[in-house]
Amino acid sequence: MEFLFPMYVKMTPVIAAGQVDEVVEKFGLAWSKFFAQVLIFIAVYVILKKFAFGPILAMLEQRRQRIADGEAKLEKIAKDLAEAELNAKRLLDKANDDAARMIKEAGDSAKSLAEKRQQEAIHEANQIIAKAREAAQLEHEQLMAQLKREFGRMVADATSRVTGKVLNSEDQGRINQEAAAQVSL
Amino acid sequence: MALPLHSFSPAPFLAVSAKASEMVHGSDFFSFLTNSVVVALCVLGLVFAFSRKATSGMTLIPHKAQNLFEFLVEFLYGRIEGIVGAKQAKLAFPLLGTLFIYILVSNWFGLIPGVGTMGFGESTGPFSVAEADKPLFRPPTADLNATLAMALSAFVVWFYLTIKEMGVWGFIMHTFGPKGGLKGFMGMVVGAVFLFVGVIEIVSIVLRPMTLSIRLYGNIFAGESVLHTLGGLLDKSGPFLSFIGSVLIPFPFYFMELLVGLLQAIVFTLLCSVYIQLSTTHDEHHEDGEHHH
Repeated sequence: MEFLFPMYVKMTPVIAAGQVDEVVEKFGLAWSKFFAQVLIFIAVYVILKKFAFGPILAMLEQRRQRIADGEAKLEKIAKDLAEAELNAKRLLDKANDDAARMIKEAGDSAKSLAEKRQQEAIHEANQIIAKAREAAQLEHEQLMAQLKREFGRMVADATSRVTGKVLNSEDQGRINQEAAAQVSL
Repeated sequence: MALPLHSFSPAPFLAVSAKASEMVHGSDFFSFLTNSVVVALCVLGLVFAFSRKATSGMTLIPHKAQNLFEFLVEFLYGRIEGIVGAKQAKLAFPLLGTLFIYILVSNWFGLIPGVGTMGFGESTGPFSVAEADKPLFRPPTADLNATLAMALSAFVVWFYLTIKEMGVWGFIMHTFGPKGGLKGFMGMVVGAVFLFVGVIEIVSIVLRPMTLSIRLYGNIFAGESVLHTLGGLLDKSGPFLSFIGSVLIPFPFYFMELLVGLLQAIVFTLLCSVYIQLSTTHDEHHEDGEHHH
């Protein structure tokens, strides 16, 4: 340890000359005062640690945690919002597609129904026309038959009056047939 | 006995006594009770009162006192964590925070009018003395006992944290062990150099409490002396000029002393932080070796 010798050489005169005592006296260094200051400093340390640093650091940590939670919640909310918007868009698109499809289906259905109704109406009209024709034909035939009968009766009556002869039923029948045959011609 | 300023020697620091005055004369039992102890007790009371006020009824939305203390604690914790690291900050912060607050309040307490100027001395009338050579109040940081007490307390905590983190052997290797991983002859040379550096480091460590305490004491005591001297420059120029001079001449220096008080609190705290950081940081080659294992 000879390399430390210069240091000892410098320090030795200070110690040897009793200047330490002089320094102690000059600056009022004393064990009692020193320990009093140590005790006060320890008391300040205990007070600050218990009443200040502990609660303040806990509060800062609580606030930091709360902010972190808030940030996490905000991120989650933003993510949920994006997902909700995406879902809403997806639902909207689906609803639009469904609506378009339904409108198209309704259109097709309406067209088909209209055609069906039209066909039914035409068919019904044709039936009505056919029935009307049948009825008209029937009526025509009935009228013709009635006309023939009437015409035959009138011819028979006229013949009876002209000839002054009472016609029997055979004559009347024959005259009616003749008259009817003439009318149908 | 108080002496007028003009009778002092030219050395300005003699305007204020270099040591704290005892409050109870002739009593060995109460010899600890000095004017700096009185102020230290006042600081203790202030710190206690303000701490209670700041932390009673704490809410997430802070009230004024809570807000101020939160700002102070958060600011200090951030700075200290930046130096000593997150792990050591949890352990060292209570001490370092206490050092900063105690030193700052003590330094600024010394700037309150009456501190260092009210006291006992040669009577010149009812409630007046020629010079308060035994002031009632003296900031603890202007008493070497107090600064030494703080420095040695910090040293004890530093030693505890260092041994806790590094272990005794780790501390010895950290201080004396060769760095660089050289082998053979060069390794021996480097080992011898680092052994010598280690011895110097030990001397430096042992001297730290002294340098810390004397730096703080010297700055605050010098500030007290400057203010005291400047305040008494016109003492012999009549009552009016004496009054005006005692107010106006030291006035600019109060701002300087406010700054010095803050600066010294920062310096003391940061140096302690750096000392802790230096001795609790693992060497790179040591960590590499551990990784190899």
